Order: sequence, then structure tokens, then C-alpha cells
Amino acid sequence: MTATLEYVRASRWYGPVIALNDVTTTVGPGVTGLLGPNGAGKSTFLKLAAGQLAPSQGEVRVLGKAAWGSPELFHRVGVCPETDAFWEGLTGLQFLMALLRLTGFDDAECRRRADHALEQVALTEARDRKIGGYSKGMRQRIKMAQSLAHDPQVLLLDEPLSGMDPVNRRRTVDLVKKLGREGRTVLVSSHILHEVEAMTRRVLLIHNGRILAEGDVREIRDLMDEHPHTVALRARDPRALARAVVGAPHVLSLTFGAEGEWVTVQTARPDEFYSAVVDAAVEAGVSEMYSPDENLESVFKYLVAR
Amino acid sequence: MSAIPAAPGADTRDQGRAVPFFRAGRAVFDLSLEGMVWSRRSLLMILLLGLPAPLALLFRIFITRLPPRVGGFDFYGIVIAFYYVRNALPLAALFYATALVADEVEGKTITYLLTRPIQRMSVLAGKFAAYLVTTLALALPAVVLTFFLLTTIRGWSGMGSHVPDLFRDMGVVALTLVTYGAFFTLMGVLLRRPVIPGLLFLFVWELLANAPGYLPRFTITAYLRSLIHHRPPDEGMAEIFAQVLPTALCLEAVGAMIVVFLAGAAWIFSTREYVLDQ
Repeated sequence: MTATLEYVRASRWYGPVIALNDVTTTVGPGVTGLLGPNGAGKSTFLKLAAGQLAPSQGEVRVLGKAAWGSPELFHRVGVCPETDAFWEGLTGLQFLMALLRLTGFDDAECRRRADHALEQVALTEARDRKIGGYSKGMRQRIKMAQSLAHDPQVLLLDEPLSGMDPVNRRRTVDLVKKLGREGRTVLVSSHILHEVEAMTRRVLLIHNGRILAEGDVREIRDLMDEHPHTVALRARDPRALARAVVGAPHVLSLTFGAEGEWVTVQTARPDEFYSAVVDAAVEAGVSEMYSPDENLESVFKYLVAR
Repeated sequence: MSAIPAAPGADTRDQGRAVPFFRAGRAVFDLSLEGMVWSRRSLLMILLLGLPAPLALLFRIFITRLPPRVGGFDFYGIVIAFYYVRNALPLAALFYATALVADEVEGKTITYLLTRPIQRMSVLAGKFAAYLVTTLALALPAVVLTFFLLTTIRGWSGMGSHVPDLFRDMGVVALTLVTYGAFFTLMGVLLRRPVIPGLLFLFVWELLANAPGYLPRFTITAYLRSLIHHRPPDEGMAEIFAQVLPTALCLEAVGAMIVVFLAGAAWIFSTREYVLDQ
């Protein structure tokens, strides 16, 4: 495997807090999942590769160049940040056009790429609406579109599925897998094992700023099966959603949220749940779905204790 | 689905280099200008910078009740010196220029700008240009309108001799916006909360301009107000204009300040990390 991203004894601290601790690893073409609970150091790991942070110690190289202070790398690197931040007054099309201009394309090429990127993330119809009026899932998708539109060789995706509804989650998973198959280097962070597992088998496990393990996700998955997986869904008709999933053998429990729009499901077999929920989600108008990371945290505690 | 390959011959970028400075600066300018013009801040600035025009209208209406020695052109001089150069323009610069980077950091949109193949200096240059165009577009029409309202009170015949002053004042207005804009851009990249220190600078430190000796030379306003040639009447407030610095010195000092402030801001912005809270 040719290394696209290289971390050589890289550490990063914020004052007295160590976010990344003496990490040496490489990431090559294909999809690699960066898996760890919130606060594990995933975002710092990605930001070092995205040249947003300089390593306090050691080196981080992307395509053979130091990531910090090499803006020309961003011709070939796309970044999908975790933060839900936009110039809210811009339409989806204007947002992509503006960022493509900043990547050096002329107006005609910007337009062509923006249109294509909007099509890729199924936002063509919403292209002339202001981003301020987009749903959480649409915002995630337009963020994804800006990271892809300039055809990068390396993609750094920070929690790209967060807040997406099941249909677009599946669409985005397929997109990430396809990008990996095309030979691009895709590093995807997540705190949800099953999200990562849907995209790749190759994972970097990160906890407390250290790489705990690298390798096949199935080994982790075996451990994970001992822990029920929690999924929260926001639906227009939560009762219809509940009716559709409550009888399934893999569903352990189901509760309604206080605001009446949320349903929280515990499942023993997340894969089956995610497959089964797609049709029900469309009918019940599911607009948001996320998984808290307590279950992954418990696996990490188990791993660390071993 | 997949990423978007270029149309044949469409991707002419040199991927080994950042996007050329002016091209990138222009793209940042285009992106920033609309957000800057259509912001709530601009509504406030329209009020702040446009205020002298309705005041000039009132002055025209009530001039018969004022002492005959206070003429329209004298009042215009006071508006330019006290209102615009000393207060309104520095305040406009404070509120716009400190926000050039701070707004992107607070809105967490800075990530999009810093993950593009552009030099950070071009981001600052594009944003500074957008600030200048916005503030000039707000200030200059108000200055011109105020000038015409005040110098034509007793007819158009006497106005012609004052037109060179108008052009000079417009130059000083532009220079004031550039100089304070550069200073507050530097403060904006240097400090996390620059507005209060900026206000203290404007309304405490800048009072040194009225002090005796060399102290006025440590302010910005002393140089800028010395560039205004016509003066208010020779009595009353005229004392604070006692120190008029030579024009050449003022231009040199202001030029040096602009270069130093902007270079400092560019250097800090280019080397600083922007760690956003999640």
C-alpha cells in the first residue's frame, strides 16, 4: 500500500491537554475508518492532515508534503468538516460556485462542477434555496458536495453521516465506497462502528489521543455485539415508525422522546436494523438519525482493559 | 455517484502551486462583498455614516436662526473633521475590519477558506478589499450629499470654489478608512475580542491628538485631521486644531502605518491556527 497520509511520531496538544499522543501510522488509497468515541482525538487527527493544525511534535505528510503550510495540497485534498457551519445567506449553488472559484476554476467550469456535485448529493432541486433553509441532512450533503466538487485524490470526512436520514445515509455510504474503489484515499471519522463498517473494513481505532489498533473492523464488531446499539430517529410520524420496527426480533427496546418527534431504539443487530428501517423511515418521514456513542465507549473501555 | 472529473481541457490549474494571489483574492472579495453589504452591520453603518445628510437638511432649514458668521461650508468642515474623520469612519472601520476574520471564526466558516489551495494572505486581501468597497460606498455618497446640501444654502454660485476641498476630503475619507481599517484588521487577527480594546483606542488613546508636544504623533487621527485643509471657524473648538502637522509627514506616516498594520495582520493570519470549538 502506498502511503498517502503519513503520521510520524505526531503529537498535538492544546495547552496542557494532549489531543494526539505520539502517533505513527499511514493511510493509503481506499476507505479507512477513523473510529473512536467523542474526545478521542479523531478531529485533531483529521485537522492535522487537513493542514488546519500544526503538529506540536513530529510530522504529518499528505501526498509527500508537510500538511501544515502547503495550501497547494488542497487542489488534491477535499475536506468535509464536522462543524455545521455555512454562509447561511448563500444558496447551495452559490456556495459550491464560490468554493470552486477559490479552487482556481473558471466560471464555466465552476458551474459545470457545481451542477454535477449537486446532482451527486441529490440537491439539484434545492440548489437555488438558501442554505439557511436546508434541513440537517441537506446541510450535511452540501458539505459533502463541496469536498468532492474539485475531484480530489484525498478526502478527509469528519462525521459525514451525522444527522442524515436513512435514505441519504445509504446514498452517502455508497458514494464513499465508490470513491474508495476509484483509488482515492478516503479517511472517514465516526464514533459509530456500524457506520464505518458499512463503508470499509479497514479501521484505525483511536482513544485518548493514541491509535489503539489498526486493522479489520470485524474483530471490533465481534466485541461490539455484546453491547446493544442505540439509535435515535426524528420522525414526522414517530408512532408509525414505532409500529413498523417494534415487532422486529433485533429490536430490544423502544422509547419516545420528550418532544414527541424522537424515537430511541435499542437493537442487538444494528446491520439488520439499518437495513430494515429504510422503508419505514420514508413512510414515517424520518428527517434525522444519530447514534450516541456510549456503546462504543464501553467497547473501548473493554479494549483498554485487555 | 462519484467525484467530478474535469471536462477535457477544462482543468487548467497548476496543481503544484496555490491559486494565483489576485485570482484568489478576487474570489474571496466576491464571496465576502455580498455578505458584508447585506448584513445587519451595514444597516447600522448606513445610519452612522448617513446621519450628516439629514442634519445638513435641518441646518439648511434652520440656518436663518443661527448667527450669520456660521456658514454652510464651516458647518461642513466640522462634519468632516469631527464627525467623519474623528468618529464615524474609525467606528465603521472598527466594526467592519475587526470582523473580517473574527466573523469567519465565530461562524466556523473559516475552515472552508483555509482548506482551499490559496495563500492565506489572499483571503485577508480579498476581505480587506470588500471592506473598503463597502465602507466607501456607504461613506462617499453621504459626504457628497452633505457637501451639496451645506454649500448651496445661499445658491450655487459660491459652491464652485469649494469643490477642490470636496475632492480632498473624499481622499481623506478614503485614507481614514484604509488606515483605521488596516489597524483594526491587525487587532482583529491579534485579539479574540477586539471591539472593547478598539473602542478604548478610539476614545481614550486617540485623545492624545489634542495633547501638547509630540504626543499627537503617537495617534492616527492627528495625521488624518491635519490633511483636512479647510477649518471650522477660528473660535471655540478651533483650539484643538492648533497642531497641524505637515502634509508630507502625514502622508508618509499614514502610508507607513498602513503597510505595517497590514503586513502584521497578514503575517499573523498566515501563521495562526484556527482551532474551532465543536
